[in-house]
Amino acid sequence: MRPYTLIIDHDLCCGCKTCEVACKQENDPTDGIKLIHISENGPKMVDGRLDFVFHVNVCQHCDEPPCVEACAVEAITRRDDGVVIIDYEECTGCQVCIDECPYNAIAFDPEKGLAQKCNLCYHRVDEGLLPACADNICPSHCVYFGDPDEIDMVIMEKKKKRRTV
Amino acid sequence: MQEFVYSNVEREMEVYGYDSVTKSHCRMCHGGCGVLVYTKNGRVAKIAGDPECPINHGTLCSKGIASAQLAYHPDRLTHPVKRMGPKGGGKWERISWDEALDTIAERMVRYKESFGAESIVMGYGTGRENEAVIYRFANLLGSPNVLTAGHFCYGPRIATSIITCGTNPIVDYENHPKCIMVWGNNLVISNPDCYKGEPFSVSLDEGAQLIVVDPRLTRLAARANVWLQLRPGSDAALALGMLKVIVNEGLYDKEFVENYVHGWESFVKRVNEYPLDRVEEITWVPQDKVREAARLFATIKPAAIQWGVAIEQQINCADNNRALMALMGITGNIDVPGGQVLFRTPKIRNVGRFGAHDKLPKEQAAKRLGGNRFRLAGNFAIINPKCVWDAIIEEKPYAVKMLFFISSNPVMTRANAREVYQALEQVEFMAVSDFFMTPTAELADIVLPAATWLEMDYIGDFWKRHGYILPRRKVIQVGECRSDHEMLNDLAHRVGQGEYWWDTFEGGLDYILEPLGITWQDFKKMDYIRGEVKYQKYKEKGFSTPTRKFELWSTKLEEWGYDPLPQYREMPEGPVSTPELYKEYPYVLITGMRLPGFFHTENRQVPWLRELHRDPVVEIHPDTAQKQGIKEGDWVIIESPRGKVRQRAKLSKGIDPRVVGAQHAWWFPERKDAGHGWDESNINILTDNAYETCDPAMGATNVRVLLCKIYPEINEGETT
Repeated sequence: MRPYTLIIDHDLCCGCKTCEVACKQENDPTDGIKLIHISENGPKMVDGRLDFVFHVNVCQHCDEPPCVEACAVEAITRRDDGVVIIDYEECTGCQVCIDECPYNAIAFDPEKGLAQKCNLCYHRVDEGLLPACADNICPSHCVYFGDPDEIDMVIMEKKKKRRTV
Repeated sequence: MQEFVYSNVEREMEVYGYDSVTKSHCRMCHGGCGVLVYTKNGRVAKIAGDPECPINHGTLCSKGIASAQLAYHPDRLTHPVKRMGPKGGGKWERISWDEALDTIAERMVRYKESFGAESIVMGYGTGRENEAVIYRFANLLGSPNVLTAGHFCYGPRIATSIITCGTNPIVDYENHPKCIMVWGNNLVISNPDCYKGEPFSVSLDEGAQLIVVDPRLTRLAARANVWLQLRPGSDAALALGMLKVIVNEGLYDKEFVENYVHGWESFVKRVNEYPLDRVEEITWVPQDKVREAARLFATIKPAAIQWGVAIEQQINCADNNRALMALMGITGNIDVPGGQVLFRTPKIRNVGRFGAHDKLPKEQAAKRLGGNRFRLAGNFAIINPKCVWDAIIEEKPYAVKMLFFISSNPVMTRANAREVYQALEQVEFMAVSDFFMTPTAELADIVLPAATWLEMDYIGDFWKRHGYILPRRKVIQVGECRSDHEMLNDLAHRVGQGEYWWDTFEGGLDYILEPLGITWQDFKKMDYIRGEVKYQKYKEKGFSTPTRKFELWSTKLEEWGYDPLPQYREMPEGPVSTPELYKEYPYVLITGMRLPGFFHTENRQVPWLRELHRDPVVEIHPDTAQKQGIKEGDWVIIESPRGKVRQRAKLSKGIDPRVVGAQHAWWFPERKDAGHGWDESNINILTDNAYETCDPAMGATNVRVLLCKIYPEINEGETT
C-alpha cells in the first residue's frame, strides 16, 4: 500500500496550466519538456452532448513500472514508498523506457541526452513538502497528493455536492 | 504517514535556505492575487500563492508564477533610451533618466503653450493599477485626453453600472451563488476585472448550477447545466428574450420591482418587442433553451451573472451591460448575499478623487476628443481611439502633437492596426513606458523602463470594486527600472505641477490612505483592509442614481439623448446587416479566445509561458475546414475587407460551422527586427474602427464580431 500518491480530479481541471508552470519553476526542465502536461480531449459527442475535458498527463508511478523493467542500466527505480524515479546520473539516454511507458509520460531531452519524467518532487516530499503541482496552487483545486483512499473519498464527496456536469 | 500541509513557509525557508519571504500582491493581469515571494542571494527564487489572501486563497496562475522570468528577462529594457534615426529603424541610444524626463517635460510644456494641453494625449492599456496616477497627471496638465482601453473594457461596466445602480455589482462568491450564469467569459483561465477563478470554482463545488453563454465550447460550457451557443454579437437580443420570459411568466422579484426600480412599464413594453421566435432568429439559440435558462436563472436564489469584456467590445456594448444588469436586478439578486453586491471600498481617497478630475478646467473638459459624439464615455473621462488617430493624421478637430503611452501597445490592441501604426508614425513626439521594446515602443522617440510588480510599493486593487485593498511590497530592483507612479511623480515636478505631488511616491500612497488614519508604513504591515460589508443598502438609502432607484430606464442616457432602455442592434457587418458582403466573406469571425499565460500582448517572450502556446491559433469547425481544404495545424489566411493575417488552424466541433474563432494580440518578440512581426498575425489588421461601427454612447470599438474568409496559406512554389 502506497503511503501517498498524486491524483487529478479530471472533472474539475479547467486547463489553466498553472501546474505545468509550477513544475517548471521547481524542476526547470529544458524548454519543450513538460513533466506534467495538460492536453485537450474533445470536443466530441458523448451521449448526445458535446463534451470537452482536459487531460493531465503525468507519471503514474505504477505498481509494476514497465520503465523500471526496461531500463538496462537500472537508472529507473521504484522506491519503497512507490515513487518511481529516474537517476539522471545513471540514465544513458537510450530511450527504451519511453517506448515502454503505457502513459506516454516520459520525454526525451535531446539537449541533456536524458529521459525525463515526473519524480513526484521526491526531493520535496522527503523533506516534508508537497510536490510543486499539488501545493495548493490549482485554482480549481483538482490536484491532490496524499493517501489515495482518503483522496478518493474527498473527490466522491465533492462530486455528490456538485450540480454541474 | 507523514503529515503534509499546504504552503509550508517555514519548511520552504529551511529546506531551500531562502534569505527572505515577502507577502505581496501580483499584477501580472489587472492585479489581484496574494503572493509569497521567496528570495535567495538578492534575487527572486520562487513565487507561490499566499494562503491567507482572501482573493485567491493560496492558488495562483501560470503568469504569477512566471513573474520572475519576466522581471529578469534578458530583453528587458533596464534604462531609458532615445531613438537615433528614423522611426521603426530600431536604433536606440542609452540616456539618463534626467535627460529622458527633461526631454519629455520640455515637449509637454512647449506643446501646451503652442497648441493647448489637449494636444498631449496620455494613455494606458488595460488597467494596470497606474490609471489613477495617469489621470491625475493629465488632469493637472489640463489635458482631457487619456486614451485607455476604457471605451471597450471595464470602463463600460463602470459607466453603465454607475448610471443604473450606483456602482459595479460584484458576484459574491464568498456566499456561494446557487446559480451562476457565465456570460461570454472564461474566468478560470482569464481574469475579468474584480474576479479570480478560484472562488468561482469553489462555488461550483458547493453546488451552484451553471449557465454558460458562449459561441465557443469552453470547458465551462461543457460542464454547464445549460449552454447557450449564441450567434456572436447577439447578446442583447438573448438577454432581452430571457427578460421577456421572466417578466411574462411572473418570475421576477415583485417586491424589488414595485419599490426599487425606475421605468418598469416602459421596460415591460421593450422586452415584449423580443418574442422568442424573433430571439431565436437573431441569436441562433433554440427558444426552448432560452426559456430553460431564463427560468433556471430566475427561480434559483441567490443567482449571479459572471460577466466580462466580451460583451463590451461590440456595437451593443452599453446595452449588453444594461440588459444583464436588468437580469440581475429584476430577479432580486442585487446586493444580497450570494448575489451581486455593491461592495464598499475602504474609506480611502478613491481612484476618482486621486485622479484629480475636479482639477481639470471645464473649458478643457469640453475639448475631450469625441466627447460630444460618445457622451456616456465622455462623461466618464473616456475617449475612443480613432478620435486620437484622426486628430494626429487629419488634425481634426485639432492637432494632437504628443502621445505618452504607459503600459500600452495600441499597434496590437486597437482596431484598424494599420491606421494606428500610421498615426504613431506621424505623431510629432511619442514617449512610451514599458518592460520591453514592443512594436508600439519601436515607434517612440523616448522609451522608459517600467518596473514590474516585484519592483514597486503600491496599494493593490485600489481601483477595484470588490471592497479590498492589499499591499504590494517592493522585493527587488532591476536595472534603472521605475514604477509608473514614481516616474510620473518625478515628471510632474518637471512640468510645474509639483505642488500636487510628493517628494517620492510614498507620499502619494500616504495621501490615498490618509482618510483611514494610516500611512503606507502602517499599511505595509497589514495583510489587507476590507470595506464594510453590508447588504441591501438600497432599502435605507436607495440607489446612488438620480431617481434613487435601480434605473431600468436610465435618466442619464435620456438626458444625453440616447434610448434610455436597452435594445439590440445588428452587428455592423454580418449575414443580416451586410448580406452582399457575406457572400464574399462567408464566415463570422470572433477574436476573443483567451489563453492561459498571456495577458493581451504580454508574455510572449517569457519562456515558461510561450511554451504553453508557440503559435497563434484559429479555431474552425471540421466541416468548415473540409470545405475550405484546411487540415489541422495548417497555416491559414484569415481575410476581412480590411486585410489579411496568418494563424494556424485548429479543428474543433465546439464552434459553429458558420463561425471562426481567432486569437488576438500576437506579435513575435523573438524576431529582432523593429517590427517584431506586428502585422503578420495581428487580428486588428482585420478589424474596423469607423465611428458608425462603435457603440453610439460608449464609443466601444467592435473588435469582436466581423466577417471573414479563411483559406490555406500557399507558400511560394506550391500549387493547390
